[in-house]
Amino acid sequence: MDFKLSEKEEALREEIRRFAKAEIPQDFINNFLDEESRDEDWAFTMSISKKLARKGWLVMAWPKKYGGQEASYFERMVLAMEATYWGIPGLGMGISGTAWVGPSLMLYGNEEQRQKYLPPIASGDPDGVWCTGYSEPNAGSDFANIQTRAAREGDEYIVNGQKVWTSCAHRARWCWLAVVTDPNAPKKQHGISLLIVDMKSPGITVRPLLSYSGVHIFNEVFFDNVRVPAANLVGVENRGWYQLMQSLAYERHSVGAQIYGAGKRMLESLVEYVAETKQDGVLLSQNPVIRHKLAERAIELETLKMLSYEITWKMSQGVVPIYEASRNKAYGDYIQEQMAYTGTEILGAYSQVDQNSKFVKLKGAIQHLYLLFPGITIAAGTDEIEKNIIGQFKLGLPKSY
Amino acid sequence: MDFNFSEQQNMLRNEARRFLAKECPKSKVKELEKEQEGYDLQIWRDMADMGWMGLVLPEEYGGLNADFVDLVLLMEEMGRNILPGPFFSTVALCALPLLEYGNDVQKAEYLPQITRGEKIWTLAMTESSGDYRASALEAEAKLEAGEYVLSGDKSFVSYANVADHLLVVARTDKSKAPEKGLTFFTVDARKQGIHIETISTLTGEKQCKVSFKNVKIPRKDILGKVGQGWDIVEYIMRKATVLKCAEVSGACQAVLDMSNTYAKERIQFGKPIGSFQAIQHKLVDMLIDVEGLQYLVHQAAWLVSTGAPCDLQIAMTKVKANEVYRRIALSGVKIHGAIGFTMDHDIGLYYRRVLGAEFVLGDTDLHLDKVAANIGL
Repeated sequence: MDFKLSEKEEALREEIRRFAKAEIPQDFINNFLDEESRDEDWAFTMSISKKLARKGWLVMAWPKKYGGQEASYFERMVLAMEATYWGIPGLGMGISGTAWVGPSLMLYGNEEQRQKYLPPIASGDPDGVWCTGYSEPNAGSDFANIQTRAAREGDEYIVNGQKVWTSCAHRARWCWLAVVTDPNAPKKQHGISLLIVDMKSPGITVRPLLSYSGVHIFNEVFFDNVRVPAANLVGVENRGWYQLMQSLAYERHSVGAQIYGAGKRMLESLVEYVAETKQDGVLLSQNPVIRHKLAERAIELETLKMLSYEITWKMSQGVVPIYEASRNKAYGDYIQEQMAYTGTEILGAYSQVDQNSKFVKLKGAIQHLYLLFPGITIAAGTDEIEKNIIGQFKLGLPKSY
Repeated sequence: MDFNFSEQQNMLRNEARRFLAKECPKSKVKELEKEQEGYDLQIWRDMADMGWMGLVLPEEYGGLNADFVDLVLLMEEMGRNILPGPFFSTVALCALPLLEYGNDVQKAEYLPQITRGEKIWTLAMTESSGDYRASALEAEAKLEAGEYVLSGDKSFVSYANVADHLLVVARTDKSKAPEKGLTFFTVDARKQGIHIETISTLTGEKQCKVSFKNVKIPRKDILGKVGQGWDIVEYIMRKATVLKCAEVSGACQAVLDMSNTYAKERIQFGKPIGSFQAIQHKLVDMLIDVEGLQYLVHQAAWLVSTGAPCDLQIAMTKVKANEVYRRIALSGVKIHGAIGFTMDHDIGLYYRRVLGAEFVLGDTDLHLDKVAANIGL
């Protein structure tokens, strides 16, 4: 038993800290996902992606021949924790590319696809920005119910249908698209395929969906007789569902580490805030109710840290984490909610102040979390879906839906 | 980073799990709850034969010189099975401080007896308030004519009813700050002036009130140095808290296992109740709690074993253990439905034990304060 990070991992942490000090302006606040909304934020984020690529961190886990460093799972975990702690944007490139498009292409793609699509991701190039077309109006948690159809015609697929909640579609060069290729399959799961779609193709319409905070992250994406070369099929036709399940595990596995880093920073800023804010003549840091709430948040973060260590360790032992990824996401969602509540309670009346107002406290990070966390609990699998996965695959309980 | 146990640790766990399941079934636990002594002598002797009392003690005292983590794993198994008796008080609360602070004479006399299972020890620390803060400790030992004279009452002293020796902390200098004037003594439990009264508890686990009236203690029975008592308290709190949390962690795992099994077997509306999300998600919440607690316990155990500073992690672990045990025990009873509310079923044994575990070595509020103080508040 040993819960220590190695010297190499500690050195990486230190290097990331130096990078953050050098590259991220003091007054910058990393509003996770909001960077996709405004042009100037997106430009800054992409400029950091480029720098992260030069440091070898953007896709550090990838093989060297595709621009990676073959870093260990623990180094990736350290990067995920430290980047969110220091508010370094740009690791996601619109989320999809670095997190699961690349790894999935390495698992299921052919060499031609890898040569074409991996280098732009690895170098932080705008042509390496992807969006992911999974959800549809009638296929949310019941994802196998997608209707977007890809019909084969000679060397092409003709795609018709609609996707929704498509993050970053308005910035993406490519779409990682789930489609129905066999509408007559006995099980829906056996008729799904994955296609790579050029977002510049004729017949694609991207329509913004503003979040309730007025931010443009999501889109609706319409496909009207979009022609996709058959060479853009990923892996095996009609095996897309199984390829996807693996990619979803990739999407979830580092969620815990990311939430830990961001949460640790927020806790520290709240501790500083209560140490200099008085109520009824007494510092908030002396108020037992506030002390206990912050202590509870610290304990939750420590728990999430251990759960992140555990999933990383299992992966380093060759285990494909299924329930562990769902567990870390469900628990991470829960503790973000708790942090947002404690934070807004501490800020009191100031928790309602707009992030851009001169009256804002702690750069509006608390408000941002309050607005963001409900969306995060839905993205990449709702809490309820995560708990179904854990119930079925870890506890061996019957399918419940 | 390595979450694995050593081969030896796995063997110990398996041995403990097998032994306890066989020798201490729940029928035995229920029987012992009603009995005055509250432990089984044969089990006690067998445990000594297997080396459990001396697990982490050096070989020169008959011990096995194992790592602290091994003892943590053993406590997890005792918690999982439920083992009534004075193991925790003898080993966690007394043998460890005796080893750390005892002089050669004391160690040579007491530790081999503990290892062989011949003597039972317990810690007489908390008083009528049940509080673990230094300010709550008022029992006084006055130096008179070359020996100490101890008077005062100690409450919630576990298994004092069967103890041969008491480790007593008393105030030897009232003029000093609460943490400064305390001293530890080893005291024969049968000495004149000691009165032991059992406090009846919800679990049948033996808690006692121990009254000292002008009990004479020679200077040779001081443990450590005069005035060093609070250091020893902190030492005990550190190690014993991790061990108590391990016991709770094991109990929580047992409740989850029992509830999960029941949810698969119990049929309502023509289906196992575990197929309903209201039940399934409750079990998942229990699992997330169980795993989180387990890893906090293992981290704390490892930190203690390496000698790294870990007061923060220990306090966090105790809060987590207190909160998780409450939640899990309640969910366990609820999933079992009405049968879980009966004496016939075993789940209630765990539910009743929550309160004893929660308040020993500091309640949730005390440890939240410690966490707060350690994160810069």
